[in-house]
Amino acid sequence: MQSFLDVLALSSDQLLHGLTITVVVSGVAVAAGIVLGALFGLALTYGSAVLAFPVRVIVDVVRGTPVLVLILACFYMPAGIGLSPGPLTAGALALTVFCASHIGETLRGALLAIPLAQTDAASAIGLTFAQTLGYVLVPQAIRQIAPNLVNTAVEIVKASSLLSAIGVGELLLTTQEIIGRSFKTMEFYALAGGIYLAINLLIATGGSWLERRYRLR
Amino acid sequence: MGYALDFAAVLRGLDQLLWGLALGLIMGLAGLAVGSAIGIVAALAHVFGPQPARTVVRLYVGLIRNVPILVLALFAFFALPQFGIQFSNITTFAAVLAVYAGAYLTESFRAAMITVPQGILDAGRSIGLTGSGVALWVVLPIALRNALPSVGNNFISLFKDTSIAAVIAVPELTFQARKINNESFRVIEVWLTASFLYVGTCALIALTLRRLEARFPKF
Amino acid sequence: MEPILTIRDLTKSFGTHKVLQGVALDVHAGDVVSLIGASGSGKTTLLRCVDLLEQFDAGEIRLDGELMGYRLKDGRRLRLSGRELARQRSRMGMVFQSYNLFPHLTALRNVMLGLTKVRRLPASEARGIAEYWLDRVGLANRRDYYPSAISGGQQQRVAIARALAMEPRLLLLDEVTSALDPELVQEVLLTIRSLAEAGTTMLIVTHEMRFARQVSTRTVFMDHGAIVEEGDPAIILGKPNSRRLREFLSSMSN
Repeated sequence: MQSFLDVLALSSDQLLHGLTITVVVSGVAVAAGIVLGALFGLALTYGSAVLAFPVRVIVDVVRGTPVLVLILACFYMPAGIGLSPGPLTAGALALTVFCASHIGETLRGALLAIPLAQTDAASAIGLTFAQTLGYVLVPQAIRQIAPNLVNTAVEIVKASSLLSAIGVGELLLTTQEIIGRSFKTMEFYALAGGIYLAINLLIATGGSWLERRYRLR
Repeated sequence: MGYALDFAAVLRGLDQLLWGLALGLIMGLAGLAVGSAIGIVAALAHVFGPQPARTVVRLYVGLIRNVPILVLALFAFFALPQFGIQFSNITTFAAVLAVYAGAYLTESFRAAMITVPQGILDAGRSIGLTGSGVALWVVLPIALRNALPSVGNNFISLFKDTSIAAVIAVPELTFQARKINNESFRVIEVWLTASFLYVGTCALIALTLRRLEARFPKF
Repeated sequence: MEPILTIRDLTKSFGTHKVLQGVALDVHAGDVVSLIGASGSGKTTLLRCVDLLEQFDAGEIRLDGELMGYRLKDGRRLRLSGRELARQRSRMGMVFQSYNLFPHLTALRNVMLGLTKVRRLPASEARGIAEYWLDRVGLANRRDYYPSAISGGQQQRVAIARALAMEPRLLLLDEVTSALDPELVQEVLLTIRSLAEAGTTMLIVTHEMRFARQVSTRTVFMDHGAIVEEGDPAIILGKPNSRRLREFLSSMSN
């Protein structure tokens, strides 16, 4: 019988590969989610009804649907129209849309919470709407939603573990493969839990460092 | 495109989907009930307890909130029998859900407790209540009411998290949807339906909560 | 006759700022002592120290001869346990500037809480006592109202009833009318006046000079954490000895 450490030594490359996929897919989803979420937020707050309504529907449906269902839907539904995006693409898409919807809604709340007097003051000094947005509103909103962004990133990393259900070889699926060979079940689940914990604590620490660095709080 | 929507297969499986939904709600409610008990005790320990108790609570919250619930569930699934605890998949998942919810609810109740104004605490002390008296008779009832919106949001999250039980073969809504998906290949209809059921249920829960909140005054 | 409250050499600092510098004061049974002085002079801190809501650095407070807040062991001061502090606090009543009623309890339940949970009276007896005191402050008809549903003046009278129901040896009042709308001040002052006439021993921090003169048996003027002048209110408010009290009084009348 191999010891846990023996198995770990043998499978460290595999584990590292899984970890890389977890980090990359989460990173991509958060980055793309921020961009898309910013667009969602602006559309929800300042968009005309024609623009705001469909975004509202997307955001509400996504926020009311469990992430796992989003992932399965992104994985299975495209087949209906003859597409087969593959598990990694489908999973990244699901996480991105999930991330974007949460950020969009948070951003809308933050923008609406900025007093109207700020917009008035900006117009009074002659800024256009785009300038007002860029120089006055968005910087204030970012301060508001910074802690939320960190939470969302943590949620995305956790949700990425669900990609194992559609066969993405991320950290959890890799862990399960190793367990399948070695039967060191609790040890490797504990290890995987520890790695997720480490990633998320790193995100939280990095987030509060950035907040301090840019005096967001 | 060439894809014609046909809900027949989904409708045939509607019973299973709805039973799955009910199972999710039951697991969610169980998780909420036990999780609230954990959360209240842990929040009291954090706000009023000695330093070691605070540390334990902080470790619990920090650990559970940063690890995916699926990893916790899989771990529990294999760990519990080692301690001679033989739970069904459903009970195991509900138990994990409770521990998971407990961590989030600890934060909800803690936030509600620490926002009780100092003057109210002073008033409690000035009539001669001890620290635990103030905690129990003054802070706790106020915090329970004021945490209600946050607890409600937690319940909605919790209900959505019950979908993850599908991965360990608990026959709830997502599991049933995937089964119909694999048997009928009505890939669009089944996920539209599943999503609709989740979104609708979440909206109903939110509406019920708002009515409940309106009935009790916020302090 | 032994005083109810004796304060000796009371000293307290917040960091390097000395809030109380050797305060000494006696309060006898039936005394109504009004404590006046500019904001930041240490009046409220003094009151909170007496009610053991604040710790103090040196000196002593005795209630009926009993050392409050600390015990002495081999010449060192040791803070009493939470349970002991609670027992001592229950012998004094405190009324706060911002009422601080328990928002989740009706007026009646606010008054009953200390009776049932501190004095451990049966609910029926506590209810009787609470009803009596709510009646005394003229709020028998507001018993089942929550604090948010009654006026500030009424809330403050409930707070007075809550303190009195515990039968305190001494009632401490901290600027109890400062947070009230002007038209609600009178009802609270009248309540306090009726208590004074009934012989309730009180230590009152107030900004109402006319009230201090009319109701109190003694007025104490504090400045920079020390007592500067004290005596009969008519005398010291009419003919202040110190320049600081004269300045304070003229700033109040402006």
